[in-house]
Amino acid sequence: MMTLIIGGSGSGKSAFAEQLLCSRAENGRKYYLATMQVYDEEGRQKVERHRSLRQGKGFRTVECPAGIGQILPLLAGEGPGDACVLLECMSNLTANEMFGPRQKTAEETAETILAGIEAVRAGVRHLVIVSNNVFEDGEAYDPGTQEYLKALALVNRRLAGAAEEVIEVVAGLPAVIKHPHKTSGLNLV
Amino acid sequence: MELYIGGRGQGKFDYARELHPDERWNVLDGETVSLDLTFGKMPGERAVIDHLHLWVKRCLQQGAEPEDALEGFLEWEPDCILICGEVGNGIVPMDPLERAYRERVGRIQIRLAARADRVERVFCGIGQRLK
Repeated sequence: MMTLIIGGSGSGKSAFAEQLLCSRAENGRKYYLATMQVYDEEGRQKVERHRSLRQGKGFRTVECPAGIGQILPLLAGEGPGDACVLLECMSNLTANEMFGPRQKTAEETAETILAGIEAVRAGVRHLVIVSNNVFEDGEAYDPGTQEYLKALALVNRRLAGAAEEVIEVVAGLPAVIKHPHKTSGLNLV
Repeated sequence: MELYIGGRGQGKFDYARELHPDERWNVLDGETVSLDLTFGKMPGERAVIDHLHLWVKRCLQQGAEPEDALEGFLEWEPDCILICGEVGNGIVPMDPLERAYRERVGRIQIRLAARADRVERVFCGIGQRLK
């Protein structure tokens, strides 16, 4: 099963995603795939805040700034298929894949990530992916940033299409976009 | 009239197109359509404006009133499909024109939504019907 969780900055998407994974995992092993590369003090503080959020919840942290497809052997050590995995955050993974040693196009970036996610998903019990809503600010960005936004939007869209469940987090509250027991999008009226 | 809104890259056009697979569309792009929204159309075609927000921005840059032209367009094409980017969920910019652009797009969306028969928000390629 795959769940996509999307929200803006400070929307409470991380805390919600952790809670969701913990409630679904029951006694299964829980992994946290950390995608952020730490460059400075601000990044270090952010990592610290997220670590303390996870404290006591029984997550094993695996650093995964790129190459998500290669992560599966690390998770399957104690019997494959039982792991519950929280990947945070798709916006970092996309940036790391795109602006790596060789800069990729939006399509190449998306294909690399989606192939990797498909491999992880097939090998675990529940995969929860946190992503970012950065598409509604009306800014006319430079071409590099526009290409990045295109890549992340493409990844989000493809993940949402493939996921059994899509949830937008607003002010810490879940707004269900795609319900696991319904096939089409939610009708609000 | 139908209104589809959503952020950049969310698949608004594809989503709307999938809902109306058998229709013949005459698609005007907000980036290139004439500011007064005049265009030629064959019988049986449905008028569609994609990237409506970019047309609003161009109107403001040229000192034209988007509401007036849009009103005229809706009189001629009451059955049209309008696709508009969500541009108001970010930092309010310093530049007055950029600020007016976001404000006007939002206000126009409200007016259009009030008279539309169908309004959907497209998020990650998935439509949420708001009306």
